[in-house]
Amino acid sequence: MTEYLVRRVLQAVLVLFLITVVSFGLMHAAPGGPLKVMLSPGMSPEAQLIQMKNMGLDQPVYIQYMKWVGNLLQGDLGHTFKNNVPVGDILWPTVWNTFVLMSVAWGLSMLIAIPWGIYNSTKQYGLSDQIASIVAYLGFAMPTFWFGIMLQQYFAMQLNLLPLSDMYTMGKEGQVSDLILHLILPVTVLTLVNIAAYVKYTRASMLEVLEQDYIRTARAKGMKERRVIFRHALRNALIPVVTIIGLDLPTLVAGAALTESVFNWPGMGRLFVEMAVAREYSVLMSITLLISLMVIIGNLLADLIYALVDPRVQLGRKGGRAA
Amino acid sequence: MKKGKGWLKPLALLSLTGALLVGCSSGNNASPGTPAPTQKPVEQVAPQATSTDDEKPIDGGTFTHSTTSDIVTINPIFGNDTASGDVMEYTQAYLYNRNPSFDLAVYPWSLAAELPKISEDGLTYTIKMKNNAKWSDGTPITADDLIFTINAIKTPETGSPEITKYDKVKEMKKLDDYTVEIKLTQLYAPFAFGLMQKLAPAHVLKDVPFKDLQAHSYGKDPAKTPTSGPYKWSEWKQKEFHVLDANPNYWGEKKPHIQKVVYKIYADQNTQVQALMKGDVDLVDSIPVTQLEAVKAKGTINISTEPGPSYEYFAFNFDKKNFPNNYGLFEGQKTRQAIAHAINRQGIIDNILKGTGKIMDAPFLPGTWADPGDAAVHYEYSVEKAKQLLKEDGWVAGADGILAKDGNRFSFEFIFNSGNSRREQAAVVIQQNLKEIGIEAKPKALDFSALVDQYANPGKFQVLLLGWQLSDPDPDGISTFGKKAFPPGNNAGWYDNPKLDALWEKAVSTVKQEERAAIYKEVGKEISTNLPYVFMYQYGTPRGMTSRVKYKDEFKPVSMIPYGETFGFLNWWIDDTKK
Repeated sequence: MTEYLVRRVLQAVLVLFLITVVSFGLMHAAPGGPLKVMLSPGMSPEAQLIQMKNMGLDQPVYIQYMKWVGNLLQGDLGHTFKNNVPVGDILWPTVWNTFVLMSVAWGLSMLIAIPWGIYNSTKQYGLSDQIASIVAYLGFAMPTFWFGIMLQQYFAMQLNLLPLSDMYTMGKEGQVSDLILHLILPVTVLTLVNIAAYVKYTRASMLEVLEQDYIRTARAKGMKERRVIFRHALRNALIPVVTIIGLDLPTLVAGAALTESVFNWPGMGRLFVEMAVAREYSVLMSITLLISLMVIIGNLLADLIYALVDPRVQLGRKGGRAA
Repeated sequence: MKKGKGWLKPLALLSLTGALLVGCSSGNNASPGTPAPTQKPVEQVAPQATSTDDEKPIDGGTFTHSTTSDIVTINPIFGNDTASGDVMEYTQAYLYNRNPSFDLAVYPWSLAAELPKISEDGLTYTIKMKNNAKWSDGTPITADDLIFTINAIKTPETGSPEITKYDKVKEMKKLDDYTVEIKLTQLYAPFAFGLMQKLAPAHVLKDVPFKDLQAHSYGKDPAKTPTSGPYKWSEWKQKEFHVLDANPNYWGEKKPHIQKVVYKIYADQNTQVQALMKGDVDLVDSIPVTQLEAVKAKGTINISTEPGPSYEYFAFNFDKKNFPNNYGLFEGQKTRQAIAHAINRQGIIDNILKGTGKIMDAPFLPGTWADPGDAAVHYEYSVEKAKQLLKEDGWVAGADGILAKDGNRFSFEFIFNSGNSRREQAAVVIQQNLKEIGIEAKPKALDFSALVDQYANPGKFQVLLLGWQLSDPDPDGISTFGKKAFPPGNNAGWYDNPKLDALWEKAVSTVKQEERAAIYKEVGKEISTNLPYVFMYQYGTPRGMTSRVKYKDEFKPVSMIPYGETFGFLNWWIDDTKK
């Protein structure tokens, strides 16, 4: 187990390094730069050169990269070009805001989707199963921003029940009750999309397991259906579900950009779009790094949970899984 | 017209429109085939005075101004983007203001006591400041602040984007605590408008080396940023909002009625418009035309569709190297004129801009003192005239129906920035219009930054469809059309016209406004005849304001001047009793 972990962490470091090299290179190779975005074209070439120097943009890309890594290792994410603000000052609040939104939506989706999927697998083609299919179609087919706008129109504009956008009402920052009110609509949007996928995964996975020989044996032994489902089937059925959810986590965070925009949620997805337009390399690199880290940790967690849920999966032994 | 900010403005727009697909591109196809009516006035639903004379202003209340991008800094030495400018309008006083007709003016809220005195030779400006103005921390605002600000901006190490405003300043002398004499290196009439300047506090910044000014916390940390205007900067939550409170030390004889201003940042224009309709914000200065009807239907929002100080252009490239066989397609003046006749500008205004634009024939804002009016040539939409002119210039239809001359097909690519739905739709109309006269025009949308970096700056393109914001009230256009401004300057199309260059030069060395106006009349005539650009139209984005905001007619918002949406703000008040 320890050996496995060490190996995975080393792999992760290598992957992260490669990701930063490639992203840094691509960003600088892209046409236009922070200077082009900021300066008035009427500015003299000399003045522009001075400005380039001030920003450190006059140096070769590999030197800029090494400086960036050097600062990063000391915990410094760099500064924005435009107003020279530490990247952390801008980034961390948005990371927290996105985390609040996503964790609620994600937790809620699992709480609803997994039991629902299990239930549907036992009552195939029943009413509940059909409703789940409709929800899934809606969830997959409906653009999230459109659904968000529809909810806003009805609940915020017409009924005036819920706030239209933002995370807090002005002057009520930090109040939990206010936060909850603001969470309802965006969480509904994100949850619907997640549920759609998770119910289907859980159901399919359960059905597959329920057809296995050992389940038939268990039933033949006269074991109660309840015990068959929860004791024998569920553990195995959850393995692929957990994997998918684990791998989904980072894409969920990144994919929240549209929902964050519609609800004016001050999150990381929104920040990324804005910073990409402004060519703020330091902020973009930090977000890329953070998301990459999450992908890697998500992978690792999925593998570890795999091992916990299914003892057949042995970590660390070369040659993989022993049956 | 120092058009420095011109390329920044579309970027700001890009950042709003580019971020989201929502609603930006709903098509309102123009009908390019229909003949255009002659120029007609745009629909005026500008908010008239929203109060009657017997209404008395009420003190108190909060005004919420919305935007789609956060500020960079409110240090006047550096902040030149739209959002920073907005917050500075409330927090930083101008030395001189501009009045609704774009002229330099002294108001009770200006730092200057009177208009500048200009010497006979036009080289010396004497500026007298009010002697009671104070920073929000109580320190007096004096000649030192003015001298410090101009010095910092004109020193290249500082890296100020406004550097070209003061590069002709030779020396500054402090005559007394409130009087400054500025000597110029040469006669330069636009300098007066350069004095429409907000000041930075010398008592906070004078010991900071110029190269470190940009990193200094003044302008970025509310606690360390004393302001000179009617509001102080109380709070900044990055990417979310700013809170501005009435400045208790405000020196002006006219104090603000509104106690608090919230400058609130939205992710995109659509979210912003929703908030306006819900009543979460009071002012939105860019309602997408596609949402105009919905906002109007709400009934409680005053809408103005007057165009602002920006215009769109279709710029030809005169550098033959950009064309196959080094054959410049736009050499012939008649050819360029034919294109001007062929593009249905009024059709685009009516259908795509929903009437929120005005045709322009020269690079001067209609209605300002430099506007040449009828002296500029107007090209009405006429396919026949266009065809006739092309024929006179020697173009003959080839086998595929596309015109050709000397073995060269009349086919070119025109580029514009992606994410700007107005421009994207106009491009389609232009393509169809030109096809009708046998010209193959291929539209190509590019990322704005890439467009500037790889095409506009080096002058490598065939035709450019873009806009200018006339942010500076001075009409000087040499930095856009002059030979001195060849790429990487603003004259991206390598337009070379010695006659015009001489006229521009003559205009800036004439201090008397009437004489300058006469020269600009000639400029208007020459440029609209010779046509380096097809001047498309003056445009703006409709503005919406909730009806709880009240003002008398003389203090209503002015669309034509930059930041004019809050012109007269000190005299506005909030009345929640009569929604």
